Amino acid sequence: MATVNATSSSAGRLLGSLRLPIGIVAFLGISLTVLGIDQFVNALTLGAIYALVALGYTMVYGIIELINFAHGDVFMVGSFVAMFISSSLLGNEGAITNIPLLAGSVLVLFALTIGVMAIVGALIERLAYRPLRRAPRLAPLITAIGVSFILQNVIQFFFGPTIVTVPQLVPIEWSIEVSGSRVPLLNIFVIAASVALMFALQLFISRTRTGRAMRTTSMDRDASSLMGVDINRTIMITFLIGSGLAGAAGVVHGLYYGNTSFNLGFQSGLKAFTAAVLGGIGNTAGAALGGFLIAFIEVGASAFGYGRWGGAVVFSLLVIFLVFRPTGLLGSHSGDRA
Amino acid sequence: MKVFNKKGLSALAAVAILAAACGGSSASTAGKTLTIGISFPLNGSALASAGPARDGALLAIKEASIEGYTLKAKVLDHAKEGAHNPDQAAADMLTFVGDESVVAVVGPFNSASAKAQIPVSSEAGLLQCSPSNTNPALTKGEDGAALRGGRAVNYVRVATTDDLQGPAVAVYAKKNGAKKIYILDSTDAYGKGVADAFEAQFIADGGTVVGRTGLPTGTTDFSAVATAAKAADADSIFYGGVTSDGAPLFRNALAQAGLGALPFYGADGIYDGTGEGSYVAIAGANAENSYASQAAIENIPGKDAFNTKFKAEYGKDAEGYAYAGYACAQILVEGIKAAVTGGDVTRETVRAAVVDKGSAFETVLGAVSFDEVGDTTQRIISLYKVDGGAWKFVEEINYGN
Repeated sequence: MATVNATSSSAGRLLGSLRLPIGIVAFLGISLTVLGIDQFVNALTLGAIYALVALGYTMVYGIIELINFAHGDVFMVGSFVAMFISSSLLGNEGAITNIPLLAGSVLVLFALTIGVMAIVGALIERLAYRPLRRAPRLAPLITAIGVSFILQNVIQFFFGPTIVTVPQLVPIEWSIEVSGSRVPLLNIFVIAASVALMFALQLFISRTRTGRAMRTTSMDRDASSLMGVDINRTIMITFLIGSGLAGAAGVVHGLYYGNTSFNLGFQSGLKAFTAAVLGGIGNTAGAALGGFLIAFIEVGASAFGYGRWGGAVVFSLLVIFLVFRPTGLLGSHSGDRA
Repeated sequence: MKVFNKKGLSALAAVAILAAACGGSSASTAGKTLTIGISFPLNGSALASAGPARDGALLAIKEASIEGYTLKAKVLDHAKEGAHNPDQAAADMLTFVGDESVVAVVGPFNSASAKAQIPVSSEAGLLQCSPSNTNPALTKGEDGAALRGGRAVNYVRVATTDDLQGPAVAVYAKKNGAKKIYILDSTDAYGKGVADAFEAQFIADGGTVVGRTGLPTGTTDFSAVATAAKAADADSIFYGGVTSDGAPLFRNALAQAGLGALPFYGADGIYDGTGEGSYVAIAGANAENSYASQAAIENIPGKDAFNTKFKAEYGKDAEGYAYAGYACAQILVEGIKAAVTGGDVTRETVRAAVVDKGSAFETVLGAVSFDEVGDTTQRIISLYKVDGGAWKFVEEINYGN
């Protein structure tokens, strides 16, 4: 009797741990069948960008419980920094067909933009949020909204209020055939780059000393401080990484869409924030999952002629989650939290 | 505080002196000076589009002569922070109403400002002529009647209305070989409205709509709708909306989905020149083979002669609404002349002379007359195509009288 119980419970545990991967595979399979390969690739690409931005929201919330409303605009600034570096510093005008040159240009673009945006993010934390760390929670929230407007106005001042074009370095004609459909290499590149960055983040949080400091700080700031963790340094590193990822999302956005505008951050920020909540705010894997989920809903709506309801479905889902499952898809338990 | 009081007092005194001067002059020349008010947004980015209309109107007033009277122009600018401001437009109209020598007004430029001005001008029975307003609700149906408070028509316009643009583009697209169209709109009043009008006409002419959806302003990802258009095997695309709603982003996404060669149709929302932030500038090479409309005549009789005259006066080329501004002033001058001939020049006789004329005015735009609500019967939609990185006129569709 006891043996049977033990077996069934360990089988249950195995099933429990496999529930998420099985769920994801089933979801992807169903989406692929329903949407077809072209729209499936569109959704994955859009989801990758949402996920990169959502990570910044969820990391900051996880560590200081601040909804950083300026994060969408950090992403927007990232897209402008990428545009400026690409067209003004590197002198790019359009697609580069020489593969070594293309790889070099893209790498330099990523490195510089991520670097600049990491510094911008850390500066915002140092100047706007750290002085308010002991203030009532409403204060940093209002400050975040203020920072959002400042970033928008600064960009508007330098680059104007119109849509600005960004050089698309990866030629849009390059593509591979997948079961009769043309899949652009650009999309594959965007998805691969984003997923690689997400894995790097997971490794950093779970394997490094700093990552461990981020996890303990999010669990209990005072206890971590007593154990010798430099709280200010850890929080600043969180902002560095989150903003760096938003910068990477800005690079990817420019390469994929070929344009940006000063008001890009508002809508994208709202979607990414929703993604973070759907996945379980504070949970990095959940934020990525939420980003993909929202992208699939939006692309599905557009694919079947319900584009004008895409936003309504996404935000209805947000309300439903907030009411019935406020911890999100994966829950915001502190083990995965950063 | 004392200084402020002094300043305030001196300002008050200046106003009083000015008022006295004005009163004095109008009293001494009563019946001799007639003024045409000009009401446009004239600073910041608004100046680029409304400035030519003002210049055209001023030129026509300068050229006109009315026996026994001095004709003057009075220009008021209702732009604030570079954009037209309906509240200021209404305040300016009150200023015109309060100036007894003003017998008619040219303006405004934007439909929203017209909405603010018409109740004021109609109550005073002051005639106004807009060179550029296209919103149908300003004049037509219940909305138009409500705006003028059920009073006699005092507002006329030489631009035709938006409700003809969508159908005109549909007729042209059909002629251009479109059979299976994919329609996207910006979900707002303008974008959805023009797309609905397009769709109705396209279906009535035997075309097929293979897909339709809407994406609001602020959307950045158009790849899913582009792929949907491809899956639906569309041979042409229509976009209802303006450039900043994402028209060029949609065009780029279509190119990315391999549909860059399909004809792309829009209305005047994407006909915005080639400057920074325009449809052509953002879509770049993908903008080729795009079509757009404008609710105005392109082929103006005697255009060269007018251009020469305009350039001699201002040292720059006539463009945009210069012709329509000139035509409005021409019509008002005609009305004043008719009132003078009738022996009694009042706001009412000028208004009646224009609104109830019954026959056409000969203007720089050609023959212009007005229907029972004050809309021009010159119902012409001009169509343009992007060719070699610039908009080129292709043809006009005349909806006749």
